[in-house]
Amino acid sequence: MKNDDPRIGVFVCHCGTNIAGIVNVDSVAAAARTMPFVVHAEEYKFMCSDPGQALVRDAILKHRLNRVIVAACSPRMHEPTFRKATALAGLNPYLFEMANIREHCSWVHTDKVAATEKAIDLVKSAVAKARYLEPLESRYVNVEPKVLIVGGGVAGIQAALDIANGGTKVVLVERQQSIGGRMAQLDKTFPTLDCSACILTPKMVQAAQHPNIELMTYSEIEEVKGYVGNFTVRIRRKATFIDPKVCTACGVCIDKCPWKATSSFEEGLSKRKAVYRLFPQAVPGIPVVDKDACKYFENGKCKACEKFCEPHAFRWDDQDKIVEEKVGAIIVATGYDLIDPKLPSQYGYGKLKNVITGIEFERINNATGPTAGKIVTKEGKEPESVAILHCIGSRDRNHCEYCSRVCCMYALKFAHLIKEKTKATVYNFYIDMRCFGKGYEEFYHRLLEEGVKFIRGKAAYVTDQALTDAEQGKLIISAEATTLGKTLRVPVDMVILANAMTPQKDAADVARKFGIGRSPDGFFLEKHPKLEPVSTATDGVYLAGTCQGPKDIPDTVAQGAAAASVAMSLIQRGTVEVEAATAGVIDDLCSGCKICQDVCPYSAIGYEVDKRIAEINASLCKGCGTCAATCPSSAIVAKHFNDQQILAQIHALYAQEG
Amino acid sequence: MAEQFEPKIAVLCCNWCTYAGADLAGTSRMKYAPNVRLIRTMCSGRIDPSFVMTALKDGADGVLIAGCHPADCHYINGNHKTMRRFPVLHTMLAQFGIERDRVRLEWISASEGDRFVEVANEMTETVRKLGPLDWKSRTAAGNVA
Amino acid sequence: MRDFPSPLIEVSEMIADSGGSSLDLCYQCGTCSGTCPWNLVRDFRVRNIISLAQLGLEGYEGEDLWLCATCNACVDRCPRGVEIVDVIRSVRTIITQAGTSPKTLGAVLGSVKANGNPWSGDSNARLAWAEALQARPFTERSEYAFFACCTQAYDARNVKVGRAALKLLKAAGVNFGMLDGAEKCCGDAVRKAGGQELFDELSDSNIEMLDAKGVKKMIVGSPHCLNTFAKEYPDKGGRYEVVHMASLLAELIKSRKLRPTRTFDGGKVVYHDPCYLGRQNQVYDAPRELLKAVPGLELLEFARNRQDSVCCGGGGGRLWMETPIEERLAVLKLKEAVKMGATTLATACPYCVSMFEDAKTALDLDSFRVADVTEIIADAVEEVRPS
Repeated sequence: MKNDDPRIGVFVCHCGTNIAGIVNVDSVAAAARTMPFVVHAEEYKFMCSDPGQALVRDAILKHRLNRVIVAACSPRMHEPTFRKATALAGLNPYLFEMANIREHCSWVHTDKVAATEKAIDLVKSAVAKARYLEPLESRYVNVEPKVLIVGGGVAGIQAALDIANGGTKVVLVERQQSIGGRMAQLDKTFPTLDCSACILTPKMVQAAQHPNIELMTYSEIEEVKGYVGNFTVRIRRKATFIDPKVCTACGVCIDKCPWKATSSFEEGLSKRKAVYRLFPQAVPGIPVVDKDACKYFENGKCKACEKFCEPHAFRWDDQDKIVEEKVGAIIVATGYDLIDPKLPSQYGYGKLKNVITGIEFERINNATGPTAGKIVTKEGKEPESVAILHCIGSRDRNHCEYCSRVCCMYALKFAHLIKEKTKATVYNFYIDMRCFGKGYEEFYHRLLEEGVKFIRGKAAYVTDQALTDAEQGKLIISAEATTLGKTLRVPVDMVILANAMTPQKDAADVARKFGIGRSPDGFFLEKHPKLEPVSTATDGVYLAGTCQGPKDIPDTVAQGAAAASVAMSLIQRGTVEVEAATAGVIDDLCSGCKICQDVCPYSAIGYEVDKRIAEINASLCKGCGTCAATCPSSAIVAKHFNDQQILAQIHALYAQEG
Repeated sequence: MAEQFEPKIAVLCCNWCTYAGADLAGTSRMKYAPNVRLIRTMCSGRIDPSFVMTALKDGADGVLIAGCHPADCHYINGNHKTMRRFPVLHTMLAQFGIERDRVRLEWISASEGDRFVEVANEMTETVRKLGPLDWKSRTAAGNVA
Repeated sequence: MRDFPSPLIEVSEMIADSGGSSLDLCYQCGTCSGTCPWNLVRDFRVRNIISLAQLGLEGYEGEDLWLCATCNACVDRCPRGVEIVDVIRSVRTIITQAGTSPKTLGAVLGSVKANGNPWSGDSNARLAWAEALQARPFTERSEYAFFACCTQAYDARNVKVGRAALKLLKAAGVNFGMLDGAEKCCGDAVRKAGGQELFDELSDSNIEMLDAKGVKKMIVGSPHCLNTFAKEYPDKGGRYEVVHMASLLAELIKSRKLRPTRTFDGGKVVYHDPCYLGRQNQVYDAPRELLKAVPGLELLEFARNRQDSVCCGGGGGRLWMETPIEERLAVLKLKEAVKMGATTLATACPYCVSMFEDAKTALDLDSFRVADVTEIIADAVEEVRPS
């Protein structure tokens, strides 16, 4: 084909009067006939109609056209239509080019002469490009019928169960030794006040026992390679020093272990053993040995645990293992973190001991938590008054500009729980009450009925510097009650900070691993905020839950299910089409400088060590062409938008004739 | 009355935002100066500075480079590379003694048909005031081959 | 019928145009009011000033517009990034232009206009404080020019601080020179008190003088001068590298050009962060390092320190305005200092020194000492022992 002389056919559409009302279509067709390599030109009322498409097919055969141009609407509208028509006549669909003489011409100009001139220019530009068009092959690849889910919080669990119930295999990878995530730390859930563990643990057990789900806890993703339908993932399975096939999870080792470390699950409020479960209902229930806390790894002595282990499950030579999995789709559900409550330093966290965070309160209020569910101050006394401070770090340009979306509601929940268990007066210091979910506003009303005090003003600071006798020994909150226009000092015994939800600390690394973008707030970026909320910039990688932005449990679960459905739809399809207009390397020109690797947003450019040249993985390449513009040796060709084609367009539009 | 100078403006833009923004201007039947011609690339990151120089050399009086807003790029961050190349381009223009205002970088999203119209008109007016580029005499005067 | 207030958007726009352009970002959370130190001693609704400005409504009379000491605590904590001090300054400027600013401030601005300083001091005698020390005049060979704050040049108490500074600089062999007395007030308090036009005159005059002399680097003893030269003069075309005495002394001690060897005998010292040195310019560590370098000196901290430090109440023109004793922040802080067992309060700002000296008198604390860190270092360095 390359050696054949181009034989170009041009078809000018009237689009009723949409184009023909302003642009003189006859003149355009006549001008086209004089353009280089144009062997046929005609105009027609509606090119996109069946007879219009038939015109194209017939002309290709009759005039032996090997390039086709339709001058009509935007290619974003009908390019697929005419590519199909071109293909039906046996021509490669990429030998078709469109000139947009409607959206970019007849609809936006009033001067008929100027518009006709412009339409001719646009056709000229398309003709110039068409001369250099090359056939491209659409490629399809099979989809590996298995889904990787990263993160075993409620979003990941929901997605895993939905996919597994549909009959597809799932690998569920969780960094911690148990699935459950943040939700496992919560005591009650708003607005219904269900016990969090009561509704979560059945799902955890289901996930663990499901024949289609392979659970990999205490594991992390090392590397992701491949592309939609065909990812290869390397997973590090951290050493637990206990053989899960032998261990009966009886827990005797935990009782016998004499060594302790701070419990992260209890937010540092209590200790756990060196051999431990994350929490009592952990799934799987098999404990792990914390190498840093276990004295055996320090001095080679102890092994108290092993002495009492009847099934002999301890494996002191256990090592991290790397396993490889092939999957067709990936769901990232890596959850959130919380802002360091010391960062907004004015609230005294870390200095004033009865200033605690919301998640710490969840543990304090929990029957399995550090105080066995008793709401008490650090001195062990029941508080007479508690203040809940909203928007700590959220909605604050000094920290996180966004609203964390759950704090207003959990503040209400806390207020209720404090009222239920103590006689304390509860104050909420808020900017706006955001109770937008189902049953949320009703819950707010219920709390008003329960006599919780709401002060409309953000807490400015917390101090223990008393100015009056009544303030002695108390924590004092300074805030303006803005509805009154009075600055208050409110003495309380306990302060709960509703500190902002943030992206996980390693979100940047995770984003890079999976080829996900991040929004300015640091959370993972969805492909479209409204219409593609769980897709990402990388085909086949989907998002679920709070890694995409703050959300409550109902929204998180809904997004987990949504991610499951799009992943399933990909798996069910069985094959995927990959971009044909990718980049390609001209081996002889490439100097191997690797600059292209730095600019590629998809890590689609590798390096052939033997030849010392760049190598493009066509399956990863999306055809943006940035590498082609960046290559200092002009060694990269952006197919369908190559230098020759674009320069030909420019020359056609601007080069002085003669 | 002397006929007013009609500048030729080349618009090099990405498919997903600015081309679509221009489409929206069309579907919304907004009107703008007929001096602009769009050349589509998939991403503004594809726009090689040599395209701009070629357009000016060939006879365009001004060039608009346009793409998605920062952080909105269809290809994650291609427009960041466009942004980084732009100062280099201006340095090149300065060497040729070409006014900065002849080459402009704008972010126009698919939803900003009105913005496209505004920029197209502004660009046309600005370049109209600057007059014809006349590449040949400039490069000759500057002794640039 | 009653007179209903209605928004006057033109007034709001005028405030925005005179420097308060961020006022529309406010979402009325009240963090500013709750943060403002005035509320420790009296009610002051910062938020309400912004609210009135957003709608262009009147009512500033009742809002004690002139209370704000421009300490910036509210700006630092504002979740919306509203430059609250700029909004207040803008409103003050508009009111000053209308000729209805408070009388005491009028007198101060009058002195600045007539004498180049707010202390009604003779402009020809600006260098009188330093005569005995025979410091060299600034020449093109000088690395630094020493720009004395008006308060250090004319206020009897603060003159001592200025002298201590010169002695230390000489002892350390710093290559500096004195300006010739043609310098005028930097204009900080003037601008913050609504005297924008006068500020423009002062800054133009100073910049012309400094540029004519070829000054590139300046040493200042006042954080207010520091802030004004470093942040406000560049907009007027004056670009200088400015260093505050506390930062410079910390460097000189670190490089062992100054050795504080004499044991401190003033008991426990609590350091008060001047707002314009700390919050406005993030100099928190240098003055503390200085104090810790003095042998035998035990350093205490206020409960709210560094970024959360409570203002002395002297900025934004407040130094020249009357405040009842029971409403003085310096008095409140001095009481806290005494309660924690301090016998000396150290600071690094002439306004703070004045405010705390007044508080000391008001509280009859004869044996308590208020000192600039410069004085404490001068006492500790053998070569410059005060005569």
